[in-house]
Amino acid sequence: MQIDVTWAIARKELGDRLHNRWIWTVGALLLACALAVAFLGAAPAGVTGLPRRGAVMASLLNLCVYLVTLLALVLGAGAVVDEKRRGTLDLILAYPVSPREYFLGTFAGHFLALAIALLSCFIPTGVVLGLAGVIEVGEYLSLVLLALVLGGVFLAVSFLVSILSRERGRGVAASVFVWVVAVFVFDLALVGSLLAFPGRIPQTAFSAALLLNPADVFRLLGFQAVGSAASPLGLAGVVPPFPAPVLAVALLLWAALPLLAGQILFERRTATDRLI
Amino acid sequence: MIRLEQVSKSFGALTAVAPLDVDVRLGETLAVIGRNGSGKTSLLRMLVGLSRPTSGRVLLDGQVPGAREWRRLRAGLGYMPERIDFHEHLSGQKTLTFFARLRGVDPQAVEPLLESVGLSAAGGKKVGTYSKGMRQRLNLAQALLGDPPLLVLDEPVEGLDPQGVRRFFDLLGHVEGRTVVFTSHRLPRMAVRVDRICVLSGGRLKGLGSEDELRQRVELPTRVVIYPAQGFAPRLHEALARLSSVALVSENGRFVVDVAQTNKLSFFTAIGELSGSITDLRVEETPVEEALLDAD
Repeated sequence: MQIDVTWAIARKELGDRLHNRWIWTVGALLLACALAVAFLGAAPAGVTGLPRRGAVMASLLNLCVYLVTLLALVLGAGAVVDEKRRGTLDLILAYPVSPREYFLGTFAGHFLALAIALLSCFIPTGVVLGLAGVIEVGEYLSLVLLALVLGGVFLAVSFLVSILSRERGRGVAASVFVWVVAVFVFDLALVGSLLAFPGRIPQTAFSAALLLNPADVFRLLGFQAVGSAASPLGLAGVVPPFPAPVLAVALLLWAALPLLAGQILFERRTATDRLI
Repeated sequence: MIRLEQVSKSFGALTAVAPLDVDVRLGETLAVIGRNGSGKTSLLRMLVGLSRPTSGRVLLDGQVPGAREWRRLRAGLGYMPERIDFHEHLSGQKTLTFFARLRGVDPQAVEPLLESVGLSAAGGKKVGTYSKGMRQRLNLAQALLGDPPLLVLDEPVEGLDPQGVRRFFDLLGHVEGRTVVFTSHRLPRMAVRVDRICVLSGGRLKGLGSEDELRQRVELPTRVVIYPAQGFAPRLHEALARLSSVALVSENGRFVVDVAQTNKLSFFTAIGELSGSITDLRVEETPVEEALLDAD
């Protein structure tokens, strides 16, 4: 694999994404929400009497689950099929560029754009919180790092969804569906199963099920990373946390496996003219 | 150089290209002619390795190419797809610089290339402001990056008027030893010298060879339109009917004669003797590719 070719593609994709106003619009929304959390303290969490730092960090974690995932999913929804429709994908692959270099370069460019958008939000928010003495730097940096990984996870998922969907419209719809399931439906389903089968679901099975949702893995890891005895938010608050290394490996696998699957599928479909 | 051996391409139940053999020789200009849906683009995509044949094989210098060989081929290949939407927010210069990096070409080569295709003044402007002709020239420019020895152009002159076609091939120029394969609906004879023609119809190969070879194979007649002098039409008709010809039709006061290639010399000799009864004549050579396309 030629790194310079992959990097050239990544640079171009980064430029294309940053030129897109949509990413800045959602980034601004994220920034506005994060600053609102920063200024209003525990109010968005709806909990009183808790340490302000814990509530703010927990609120930011939840904000990441809602908005970082959505931003990543929609950013990547048309990543591959758009280029196919334009004709630029075929042209690029007629150059001495392998499908793998193209796929990874495109992903890297999208991820960098996502990272820039997220940092544009988290840096000002961190400055505000730091000046207010609400956060500890190490905890906040851990949160930012985890948010970037979470974005990478859902970007990888969106790339896979994009290739499976074959059309931009379907890709976006499928990505939104994935978001709804990951952020809302999954946890509701688990809670529902607890209520439907009280006392019959082993704790270990329940805990393991949480690993099937990267949003929950992020929450669990986030609570551990920020070291906060924050109020239970979402389902992840009612079960004992996994060891951090287990959660970290799970989250990285959630990034690596969809990316690998997407790459393999992309290589196969471009070779057999079945990409769209 | 590149040989497609009994390659075919199907998309489900649709056969885009029926099994055929086509080879591309070093240094030649090969025109692939066919109507819409004839399989030209599918053939070209298999030629450059963008599409895997459903059956048959592609040979590169006699070998079935692996990934490394395809990369080597593509390093020396300029491909101009029929349709492409360059990113409109990028300038022509930035677009070409990107493609130059993909081929390992020094970005310094971009400026002279823009000048050679007549986009020097527009190089800094966004592609979104380009006309169709300018985008076509930009498309050609990216194919010419690094001066590749093999050019594969898909419908490069589609939508251009005759002047535009001639200008395009002038831009392309003629580089000794460069191999050019292009597709078109009709052969732009006046604009480019072609070594061989490949005629496709309904995914099938109707003919592959030089124009002379195909013309002899098809035994295409020469059409002569004769305008009789005043009062000489009946006598001229009688005289023409006695000559060895393929067909004689009288229409709108003129005679249209299809003459077999083998009889051309004797026919024109006889016409010379009838010159007193003729005011004008016109010779039309039916394009061989049209004859092949119509012979279904």
